[in-house]
Amino acid sequence: MTDMTRPGLRPSRIAIYGLLILACLVYLVPLFIMLVTSFKTPMDIRTGNLVALPTEWTTIGWTKAWSEACTGVQCEGISGYFWNSFKMTVPAVMISTLLGAFNGYVLAKWKFRGSDLLFGLLLFGCFVPFQVVLLPMAATLGQLGLANTTPGLVLVHVIYGVAFTTLFFRNYYVAIPDALIKAARLDGAGFFTIFFRILLPMSTPIFMVSLIWQFTQIWNDFLFGVVFASGDSQPITVALNNLVNTSTGVKEYNVDMAAAMIAALPTLVVYIVAGKYFIRGLTAGSVKG
Amino acid sequence: MSQLELRKIRKTYPGAAEETLKGIDIDIASGEFLILVGPSGCGKSTLMNTIAGLESISDGEIVLDGKDVSGVEPKDRDIAMVFQSYALYPTMSVRENIAFGLKIRGMPKEQIEQEVERVADLLQISHLLDKKPSRLSGGQQQRVAMGRALARRPRIYLFDEPLSNLDAKLRVEMRTEIKKLHQRLQTTIVYVTHDQIEAMTLADRIAVLKDGELQQLGTPKQVYDSPQNMFVAGFMGSPAMSFVHVNVEQGEQGLQAEVQGGDGRSLKLPLPEYLADRVGKKVVLGIRPEHITQPQDQKSDQALVTTGEFTIEVTEPTGPDVIALIRLNDTNVHCRIDPEHPVTWGETAELMFDMKKVVFFDPETEKRITG
Repeated sequence: MTDMTRPGLRPSRIAIYGLLILACLVYLVPLFIMLVTSFKTPMDIRTGNLVALPTEWTTIGWTKAWSEACTGVQCEGISGYFWNSFKMTVPAVMISTLLGAFNGYVLAKWKFRGSDLLFGLLLFGCFVPFQVVLLPMAATLGQLGLANTTPGLVLVHVIYGVAFTTLFFRNYYVAIPDALIKAARLDGAGFFTIFFRILLPMSTPIFMVSLIWQFTQIWNDFLFGVVFASGDSQPITVALNNLVNTSTGVKEYNVDMAAAMIAALPTLVVYIVAGKYFIRGLTAGSVKG
Repeated sequence: MSQLELRKIRKTYPGAAEETLKGIDIDIASGEFLILVGPSGCGKSTLMNTIAGLESISDGEIVLDGKDVSGVEPKDRDIAMVFQSYALYPTMSVRENIAFGLKIRGMPKEQIEQEVERVADLLQISHLLDKKPSRLSGGQQQRVAMGRALARRPRIYLFDEPLSNLDAKLRVEMRTEIKKLHQRLQTTIVYVTHDQIEAMTLADRIAVLKDGELQQLGTPKQVYDSPQNMFVAGFMGSPAMSFVHVNVEQGEQGLQAEVQGGDGRSLKLPLPEYLADRVGKKVVLGIRPEHITQPQDQKSDQALVTTGEFTIEVTEPTGPDVIALIRLNDTNVHCRIDPEHPVTWGETAELMFDMKKVVFFDPETEKRITG
C-alpha cells in the first residue's frame, strides 16, 4: 500500500474525523451514563462521579427493575408490562404490515377509478397528530367494548399504522414493472395468487422497513398507551413513567436506568436483526433496463 | 393451431381525447407469423394487450377460432406472451418460472417436469434450470421468457418487442432462432416491433400501423415494393425511401420528369405510361437507394432506365454497398453503389436510374398512384 490509496492525515481530514468523533461522543454519552449507572449501587451513585465506572458492579438495579420496583401502588417490577408491550406490538406490527402490503398491492397494481385520490387521502393519515384522535378513538373503543384492553390498543395502532405501511408498500410495488403482473395474469394467476406467489416473495426489503418502522413506533408509543390502557394492560412505556415517578423513599437511579434500558432493548434488537435486510436490489436482474 | 380475427377493434383510454385504436381489421391465419410494426405511440402495443385480454376494447370483436373472446379473461384465452422486459419472476428459478403457468392450470407434477424438459431442450437452456433469472445474461433471460410461453402450448403467441433489449449481434441470432422455431412448430404468432428489418425478415405478413390506423397489411414484399402510401414507403426500408417532388411532362419518347442535381445539372427521368393523366401535374417520386446505382451494362438499353451525372455529397460505406447521397430537386436522395465502383464525395459520378420499380405518390393524398 502506498500513498495512492491512503491519503495522509491532512488538517481537513483531522477536522472531519475530529468532528465525527465529537458527534459520536455526544450521542453515546447518555447511553454510557445510563449503562454505568444501572450497574452501580445506590451508594456509589450518591457519592461517586456521574461518568465514572462503578466501583462495585452489581445487577441489583436490573433485577429490581424487572421484578420488584414499584409502578404506582404495585411493586412487581416492569416484567409484566414488558410482556404487555409484546402482546400489543407483535400483533399490531404484523396486522398493519400485512394490511399495508395488501393495500399497496391494490393501489399500485390494480388501479381503479379514484384509487390515486384514495391513496392521497390515506396519506393524510401520516400527518394526523395523535392528540386529535384521542377523544373520538376513546369513544369508539368504548362502544366496541375494547376500552382499556390490549386488543383495543392493537386496533388503535393498526389503524394509525396502516397509512404508513400502505405508503411503504405502494411505493415499493409501483416500481415493480407491470409486465410482471401481466405475465402472471396470462399464466393464469388470479388476484390473490399474484399477490402471494409473485409479489410477497419479492417484498423482503420493504417488509423489513415496515417492520422496523412499525415496531419502533408502536413499542415506543406512550400517549395511546397511557390513554387507552390501564392497570394490567399498560405497555412498558407507561410503566417506565410510573416507575420513575413513584416517589417512595430515596430515588433509585440505578433501577430507573435499568428499566429504561430494558424498555429500549427490543427496538434495538429489531434494528440490529432486521437492519441487514435494508439492502435493496432483491429484484435486480428480473427486468432489464 | 389457431386462427385469430380482429374485427373493427376500437379502443379509447378513459379520459383520453383521441382514440388509440381506430377500427383495426386483421385476419390472422392459423400458423401465420404476423408482425405489427409502426412508430412509437401508433397503438401496436395496445392492440397486442387487447388481444391478450390485458386491456379491454371499446368496440369491435376479437374472434379466436370462431369464438368471440372480447369479454374473456386473459387466463381463459389461452394466449402466451413474451415481454420486452422478459418479466421473469425474480424469486423463482428458471424451472419454476417455466412451470408456474402449468402448475396454476393444475397439470400433474410428472407432466410438468416433462414439459419443462422439452422446452429447455428446445431452447437449449437445460443447464440453467436451477438458476435465478438475475444470474442469467440478457439473451438467456430472453430464452427463458420464450420457454415460459412455449411450455403452455397456447393457441396464440404474442411477442412484444422481444429483442429490443438485446445487443445487435444477439438480436440477429435470436431473430434467426425465432424464425426457425416458428418454422418447426408452425404456431400462430403476433409479433410487435418497431424494427422494420425484424419485420421484413420474420413476417409472413406485416401490418403497418400509424396513429391507431392500419396503413397496410401485406407480405413483406408487397409492403416493400408496393407501399400504399408515403408513410409505409418511408417506414419500411433502410436507408429510407427518398421522396422527390417533380412535374410530369410529355416528352418525345414518352412521359418524363426533370430533376436537378445539387450542382444545377438536370436530367430527364423517363416515367411509366400510367402517369399519362398526370401530365402537367406534380407527383412525388418514391426512390429507394437500390433504384439508383452505378451504370450497369446489362440494364442500359432497358426501358425506363437512364443515366446522368450527379455530384456525390456524402458516401457511407456499409461493406456490401456504398450508400451515396446526392441531391435531386433540393431533396437528399440515397443511392446504393457497388464498392467495386468507387465514388468520391465532392466529385461527380455517373449514376443509373432504374425507374421500373420507383413508386409514385399523389402529393395531396400521399397515396400511391397505381397503374
